[in-house]
Amino acid sequence: MILVNFLKSGFNRAVSKFRLSLYLWLIMFIISLIIIVPVSFELRANLGHLAWTEKPLMPFELNLIEILLANQNLLASYLVFIITMLLLSALLSVFLNGGLFGQMLSPETGVSFRNFLLAGCRHFWQFLLSLIIFIPFLLVLFLIFRLLSAPLEQWSARAVTEWPVLLASWLSVLLLALLWTAFRLVLDLARILVVAESKKVIAAYLSALRFLSRHFFRLWGLYLLIALAVILISAGWLLLVRLLSPASPAGLMIILILYQAYILFRLLARQVLIGVEYSYFSVRKET
Amino acid sequence: MKKRNKSKTIPACLFISILLFPGLIPGLAQERPVIYNLAVELLPETASLQAKGTIIWTNLSHDYVPDIHLHLYWNAFKNELSTLAKEASQEKLFRRFKAEKGEWGWIKITSLTTSDGQDLLPAAVFISPDEPPNPDDQTVLRVVLPQPVAPGQSLTLNIDFQAKVPKNGLRTGYFQNGFFISQWFPKPGVYEDGRGWNCHEYHLNSEFYADFADFLVKITVPKDFVVGACGQEVEKTEDLAAGRATYTYAQENIHDFAWTASPRFIKIERWFKGEEEVTPEEYQQIAALLGLTVQDIKLPDVRMILLIEKQHKNQVERHFRALRAAMKYYGLWYGPYPYQTITLVDPPFRTGSGGMEYPTLFTAGTSVILQKDVLSPEGVIIHEFGHNYWYGLVASNEFEEAWLDEGINTYSTSKVSAIAYGAGRLPLKINGLPLGWLIKTPAVYDWQLARTISVPVTKLDPIITPSWKFYNSASYTLNVYQRAAASLYTLERLLGEKIWARVMRTYHQRYRFRHPRTEDFIQVVNEVSGQDLNWFFQEFFYQAKDFDYAISSVETKLKPEQAQDLIDELPARTAEKGREAIRPAAGQKKGSSKQKIYETAITLRRYGEIQLGPGFSLKLKVEFEDGSTEWREWDGQSRWHRIYFEKPVKVKRAWLDPEGLWLIDTNLSNNSYSRQGPGTRILGVTANLLWLVQDVLVTCFGWL
Repeated sequence: MILVNFLKSGFNRAVSKFRLSLYLWLIMFIISLIIIVPVSFELRANLGHLAWTEKPLMPFELNLIEILLANQNLLASYLVFIITMLLLSALLSVFLNGGLFGQMLSPETGVSFRNFLLAGCRHFWQFLLSLIIFIPFLLVLFLIFRLLSAPLEQWSARAVTEWPVLLASWLSVLLLALLWTAFRLVLDLARILVVAESKKVIAAYLSALRFLSRHFFRLWGLYLLIALAVILISAGWLLLVRLLSPASPAGLMIILILYQAYILFRLLARQVLIGVEYSYFSVRKET
Repeated sequence: MKKRNKSKTIPACLFISILLFPGLIPGLAQERPVIYNLAVELLPETASLQAKGTIIWTNLSHDYVPDIHLHLYWNAFKNELSTLAKEASQEKLFRRFKAEKGEWGWIKITSLTTSDGQDLLPAAVFISPDEPPNPDDQTVLRVVLPQPVAPGQSLTLNIDFQAKVPKNGLRTGYFQNGFFISQWFPKPGVYEDGRGWNCHEYHLNSEFYADFADFLVKITVPKDFVVGACGQEVEKTEDLAAGRATYTYAQENIHDFAWTASPRFIKIERWFKGEEEVTPEEYQQIAALLGLTVQDIKLPDVRMILLIEKQHKNQVERHFRALRAAMKYYGLWYGPYPYQTITLVDPPFRTGSGGMEYPTLFTAGTSVILQKDVLSPEGVIIHEFGHNYWYGLVASNEFEEAWLDEGINTYSTSKVSAIAYGAGRLPLKINGLPLGWLIKTPAVYDWQLARTISVPVTKLDPIITPSWKFYNSASYTLNVYQRAAASLYTLERLLGEKIWARVMRTYHQRYRFRHPRTEDFIQVVNEVSGQDLNWFFQEFFYQAKDFDYAISSVETKLKPEQAQDLIDELPARTAEKGREAIRPAAGQKKGSSKQKIYETAITLRRYGEIQLGPGFSLKLKVEFEDGSTEWREWDGQSRWHRIYFEKPVKVKRAWLDPEGLWLIDTNLSNNSYSRQGPGTRILGVTANLLWLVQDVLVTCFGWL
C-alpha cells in the first residue's frame, strides 16, 4: 500500500470524526476565555472610555503597555492564576487525548460527546502513565540532541561572521524538531496500542518500539509530510491575516473567524496524524 | 624595509610640531589640560598591547596639586574583585560582564617617571574613592608627586605600560583577529578647582569623564589589518620585513581616544558637504527658528570614514544616510561639527564594542538580516554620532550626571529620527529573524516609546543620581536615557519649539569644550525661556516621583424637571389688599419644560505626587453631542477637582491636556474620556490574546 493511501485513509477517518475537533475546540475555547477574562476586564476598565482620535498621541499598543505598567501589582497574582490554569489544562489534555484516541480508533463510525468523555475517563490513567514513562525517552532525546548539535555549536563558536551563527541556530532548531517528531511516534504508537489492542502501557511501549524498529522511516516520513503541510498552511494563513486590517469591524470579524478556523485546523491536523499512524499500524503490524 | 606614505608627512610634521611646541599657537598651552604622545603596538597572538609615551598634564586650577589620579580602566576586568565585577555579579537581569579563564584583561604601568627622571611608581597606590570603598579595585591609581604642581605649571609623565585586552570587556574586546580598543591608556582624572581630583572607579553602570586633550598616537599592527581611530590619520609607515604597519593619528581638543583594527574591515570615505546636504530653504527656516543668520549656522565639510565588516557591505548606503542626517541636524540645531573627520565603525564581530561613542569616532552595530522599516542600525548611528555633541563637545561628567549626555542625546536622537525617517517599527527578532516578517509590529516614534517604557523606574531613583548608585542597570538606563528624554520632550512642548531650540543651542554653544553640570543647564533654560523652571527640575530630575493627572469620571444625568424653570409646587399666593394674586402664567403647565437639561460632572484627579508648578495649569477640553466645545483649566494643586456643566446635550468626549504637553505623565491612557471608547481595538486585542492562549493549549495538548 503506497504511502499516499495511508494519508488518504487517515484523512478520511479524521474528517468522518470531525466532531471530535469541535469538542476539543469548544473545551479549549472555554478554558482560554477563563484565562483571558481578567485581562479583558482590565482592558475595558482602563481603556473602555479612551477617546480615540484619527491622530492619537501614541499607538494603541503603547496604551496597552501603559495599562500593563499601571497594573503591575496585579501581575504576580495573574501569573499564578495562569500557571494554575495551565497545569490543570495539562492534566485535562491527558484526559482529552484519551477521549480523542478512544473515539478515533473506535470501530464505530459516529462520535458523540458522551462517548468522547467516557473514552477520556476510560483511558486517563493509562495515558497519564504513558506520559510518565515517556520522560526517560525525553532524556534520551536531549542527549542525542546535545550530541548531534555539538558540531553546530563548534561551528558557531568559531565563526567570525554572523551567518554561521544564524545557520547553526536554525539548524539546531530544525534538528530538535526532527528529533521531537521521531520520539513522538513512540508515544503515539504506544497509545494506539493501549486503545486499539487493550495492551498494558509498558507492553504497548515495547510493541511500539518493536514496530518502529521495522517501520520507523516510513512512518516518520508520513509524520513529517503532515507536519510540513501544517507548516505551509500555517504560513499561508499568517500571511493572509497579516494583510487584513483589524481596524474596521468587518476586518476584525473576518480575523476572528480566521483565528478560530486555524485552531480547528490544528486540531484536525492532530486527528489526521493519529488516523494516519493508526492506518499504517493496522496494515503493517503483522509484517 | 619601511615604506613611508609621503603624501601626508609634511602636514604631519607641522601637526606634530604644534603638539610638541604648543606655544606656537597662542593660547593653546593654556587651554589644553592634557597632551598625549603615545605609541602602542598590538600583539594579536597574545591579545595584548605594549605602549609607551608621554602625558603632559597642566594645572589649570588655582590649587597646588600634590598628586595625580590616573584611570586604569582595564583593571576592572582583572578579576572578580573589581568594583565593576562585583556590581555585575549582583545584577539579576542584565549581567553584562562575565569572563571565563583567559578572557580577563588588565593594564600595568611598568615605568612612570617625570621629565627629570624621578621614578614615581614607588609612590603610586591604588585607591577606592567611591562609596562603598573597595580596596580590591585597581582602576584608580594615585601617584604622589615629589613636589606639588603649581597653578599654571605642567607635569610631564614618561610612561611605559602593558595591557591585556579583555575578551569581552564592556565596550572593548577582541574576537579572533578583530579588535576594538578603548579606555586602554592611563588617563588622568579631571582636577576641579577647589574640589580636587574627580576620578571615579570604573563601575558597571558608569561611563567616563576626562579633560580635553591633544592626542598624537602611533598604532602598530599587522600590516593586513585595517585601522580606524579617533582623529585624522597623518602618517602611515610599513615595516615589510616584520609584516607590521604603523599608523599615526592626531587630534586636538578631544577627551578620549579609541581605535580599532581588523583584517575584515572595508574602509570607505565620503564627504559631508554642508552646501549640498542642506537646502537654502532649510537654512532659512532653521536660522529663523534660532534667531540667527544663515551664515551663523552654515555647516562645514567633513570627511566621513566608514569601517564596515565585509558581511555588512550591502548596508553601506544605510550607514551613510543615517550619518548624514545626524550630522545635518545636530549641526544645524546645536552648532557646526568642529573636527575634520568622523569615523563610523561597524564593530568587529563579537567584540562587544557596538553602540558606543568616542570623540570623532563611534561604533554602531548591525545585523545581516534587516527590515527596511525598522530603524536599525539607523537609530544607533544617529545616537552615537550625537554623542559627539553631548559628551564629546559638551563634556559633562558621565559618572555623576549621566543624563546630561544620555538623556539630552536620547532626546536629540528622537528628533533627528522623526524628521529623517518618521516612525520606525520595533526591532523584535526571534532567532535572528525579524518578527515583523510574521506579524505587523507597531510603528512608533522614539519619544513615544521612551516615555512609556520609563514608567517602571519613575519611583525608583531620581534621574540625577550618580551612575553607580542606581538601584540596578535597568533603573540607570531607563532613568538617564528615557525618563530624562521624556522630561525634555515635555519641556519643549511647554516652552514651545522656538524657545526650546534656542535653549538647546545656547547651552551647547556656551558649554562647548567645557564641563557643565545640571545647574548650568537649568540656568540656561531659565535664562533663555525667561521663566523660573527650577521647580520642574526639582520635581522631575532630583526626585523619584510620578506625575499622573487623569479624568477619573464623567457622570451625566438628566436634570430633574421640577428643578428646571422657576415653576414650583407652592400654592398661588392669595391677593393681598391692593395687589394681584400671583398665579402660573397662562398656557404653562406646572413643572413642565420644553427642553431637557443634562448635568455633567467631570472629576479630575491627581494620582501622582508631583504637582504643577507656579504659573502652569492643565486644560480640559470637552466636546458635546451638538458639536460645541468648552474649555476649562485646573491648577492641579489639589488631589481632585470637579467641573460641572449644564447643557441640553450630553458630553461626547473630553481630554485633559488635549495638546499633549505633559508627555511625562505616566499614564496618558487616563487623560481622556469618550462615551464610545475604542471597542473595536479592545476586541481585537482580546481576540489576539485569546488566540494566543488557544495556541498554547493546542500545542500542549499535542505534546501531552
